[in-house]
Amino acid sequence: MDTTTETYVVEMHDIVKTFPGVRALDHVDFRLRPGEIHSLVGKNGAGKSTLMNIVTGIYQPDEGQIWIGGERIETMTTAIAKGAGIAYVHQHSQLVPALSVAENLFCGNQPTNGAGFVNWRRMNREAGERLERVGLEIDPKSKVEGLSVAEKQMIEIANAMFAAARVIILDEATAPLPKNEVDMLFDFVRRQRDQGVAFIYISHYLEEVFEVCDTVTVLRDGQLVGDYQVSSLDMPELIRLISGAKLERFKRERVELDGKPVLEIKGLSRPGAYYDVNLEFKAGEIVGLTGLEGCGKAMLARGLYGLEPLGEGEVWLEGQPYQAKMPDEALDKGVAYLPRDRHGLGIVGIRSVLENISLSILEKLTNGLGLLRTRTERQHVRHYVDTLGIITPGLRQPVEFLSGGNQQKVVFAKLAGTEPKVLLLDEPTQGVDVQAKIEIMKIVDEMSRQGVAVAFISEDIREMADVCDRIVVMYDGAVTAEFHMGDPDATVEKILHAVEGG
Amino acid sequence: MKFRRYIPVLLDNLIWILLLGTVVLFSLLTDRFLTQTNITNIFIHAAVLGIAAIGLSFTLLTGNFDLSIESTIGFTALIGAWLVAPAGGIAHGSGWNVPPIVAALVMLLAGLGIGWINGALITRAKMNNFIVTLAMLIILRGIMLGFTQGETIAQLPAGFKALGHDKVGAFPLLVITLLAAFLIAHIVTTYRRLGRDLYAVGGNSAAALASGINPDKRIRQVYLISGALAALAGLMMAGRLGVVVPSLGEGMIFEVFAAGVIGGISLQGGRGTMIGALGGVLLLSTINSGLNLMRVSSFWIMTVRGMVILAAMFIDAQKVRYRVPTPTTAKIKTAAPAPATD
Repeated sequence: MDTTTETYVVEMHDIVKTFPGVRALDHVDFRLRPGEIHSLVGKNGAGKSTLMNIVTGIYQPDEGQIWIGGERIETMTTAIAKGAGIAYVHQHSQLVPALSVAENLFCGNQPTNGAGFVNWRRMNREAGERLERVGLEIDPKSKVEGLSVAEKQMIEIANAMFAAARVIILDEATAPLPKNEVDMLFDFVRRQRDQGVAFIYISHYLEEVFEVCDTVTVLRDGQLVGDYQVSSLDMPELIRLISGAKLERFKRERVELDGKPVLEIKGLSRPGAYYDVNLEFKAGEIVGLTGLEGCGKAMLARGLYGLEPLGEGEVWLEGQPYQAKMPDEALDKGVAYLPRDRHGLGIVGIRSVLENISLSILEKLTNGLGLLRTRTERQHVRHYVDTLGIITPGLRQPVEFLSGGNQQKVVFAKLAGTEPKVLLLDEPTQGVDVQAKIEIMKIVDEMSRQGVAVAFISEDIREMADVCDRIVVMYDGAVTAEFHMGDPDATVEKILHAVEGG
Repeated sequence: MKFRRYIPVLLDNLIWILLLGTVVLFSLLTDRFLTQTNITNIFIHAAVLGIAAIGLSFTLLTGNFDLSIESTIGFTALIGAWLVAPAGGIAHGSGWNVPPIVAALVMLLAGLGIGWINGALITRAKMNNFIVTLAMLIILRGIMLGFTQGETIAQLPAGFKALGHDKVGAFPLLVITLLAAFLIAHIVTTYRRLGRDLYAVGGNSAAALASGINPDKRIRQVYLISGALAALAGLMMAGRLGVVVPSLGEGMIFEVFAAGVIGGISLQGGRGTMIGALGGVLLLSTINSGLNLMRVSSFWIMTVRGMVILAAMFIDAQKVRYRVPTPTTAKIKTAAPAPATD
């Protein structure tokens, strides 16, 4: 480790933090230089959040020293952190949607005129100047709710900078963003770094570490693995550092498919969503569905599942005309859907693992008197917890307390229990760590081997190439290309080219 | 800090600790408390409150309110009493001599009708549940006053009063009804699909929808249940009092709310049990009886009730505070709550 006398914006030494039953941080060091984008990586539970909670003064460490800007801080508090210019930008926007950009920027200290009324002209003008200074072309008078997610995050970063922030923590900032907005956000972050702001960047997307970060600190089980220059690492090495073992990369073995499609879509159109879609899904097949945000791939899945209108055209399920007005109808007919928004649509966080997993099959678990057969239910849930490897202290544990990967497995268990013929997966590996990603891909593979037709919707082409038999590309609502994996022209580059509309 | 870990467990079972503490306290303060008569009285007071609290708890589990319960109790009691009471004189009834069982069925239909309107306005017209049921509360009370012109309906026949009045052996029908209703409510919420669906709808309505539940249909059903139970409570109350005044049930909704919330039913939906709600009902009835025995002036009882409601809300707020909040918003505020899960 380097021993120069260079001044760090944040320096933490020998930090120990213990919670009942677990040592969350075990003698961890962390150093942040001005003007760097510093990634903090590790599996869920590695100690990233705890470390950030200490930097921001929310937790007090049991042992260890903290320096901010070269000055020793005896007792870190949220007030000290704020005063020292450490700001935290949440994954989900903290802005008030119904107010304008200017109102959000000046929230709590609006310029006023002599009579105490808000001086709107001055506020809008100053907001405009501030936005211009950081290179954001956003009308200060526009409502926040009309902005894209990336724009909202940039405004939050800008807002932190106006409050003289020197350190900005970005926690899973890109998780809710479509690809094109991620690039916009990265550009913005790089420009602010060049102005001397230091960023701590927390993400499960390791590609992003290589794309945007200068340095990376790796934590594993509460211990420091090390800090590295990103340029000195490659992806397999980083994965090895994070997991502690060399992770095998999952690669699906080819399967023989019989000819009959389970689900056939013929000339399906929904104005504003998709046009003249023709697709077939065979039993046991995993079909990747990709394209830019808004290309219609996700809307197609939601339409098939009855969460949105399906539109005009023909859909056949095992030779029968198919349509679902609501998800319960889709599930009855054998179509299941894994939503992209796990917290919003996937899990009932405050309820238990047991109740979440059996939620879609309660009818089947009911006896003649209309009462739940609780023993059968427990056996069913226990079976899926075991086969999917869901790590939980017990079946009564509220799902919100599980890690992201385990939450996603709970959703898989719920869907698998309905014994679907067609499984629509919308970004199934979003927001889970590398290890869980591979486990989830194995689960998808296993379900397809039991004869389920799977639609795997994602924007991560490399991941799709590993798990899909076929990748269908949509652009602007239409199916524009199809690649059979294993064919010589089914390369990641060619698929990416098709995604961009080429 | 270590103590904080036990706070949620404590809060979840707080109702039984409070109930035990209250019973011990009043037994020490007055020797008339632990008598058979007084215990029976506590349960009788608990009966109407309990039936109403079950109805309210069903709506709360889905994250909805039903403020109209107290007016529905009064309104249905008024309809029933009017149908069975003689005309003219001090009775102010219809004089139709409607058989009590028919009157009770009409009351049930009225309760279901009110629940149906509430449910339809909330789920189909997408109106706010608080405002819809508040308006219903006021409208029904208005109809009662307008219809009776403020007069009391009296001289109810014995058959109509049976549920509120009669006993099977030593046990008042009121108490048997109370315990049976809670038993059924407990079975429905824990061992039937309906109950699980309600917890899911209250916990995360969108996820419930995506799991194959129709949240709007479930919400309409809980309002039907709430309306029907209010009608049952109306019949019990009319029988117990023997007369129906146009203000019957007025102000009761706050006690019903307090009972449910003290018993652990969360106002945010998705949490709480019927057994807990029963505990809340018994606690409030115990406090009520104790204060009466202690000869606390009725002018002060309202103050105590208000404080009990505040205490209930305080407990509800602590539950949210000491529970680790949902991960999306709370990443920075909390530790990894389930250690060593990955």
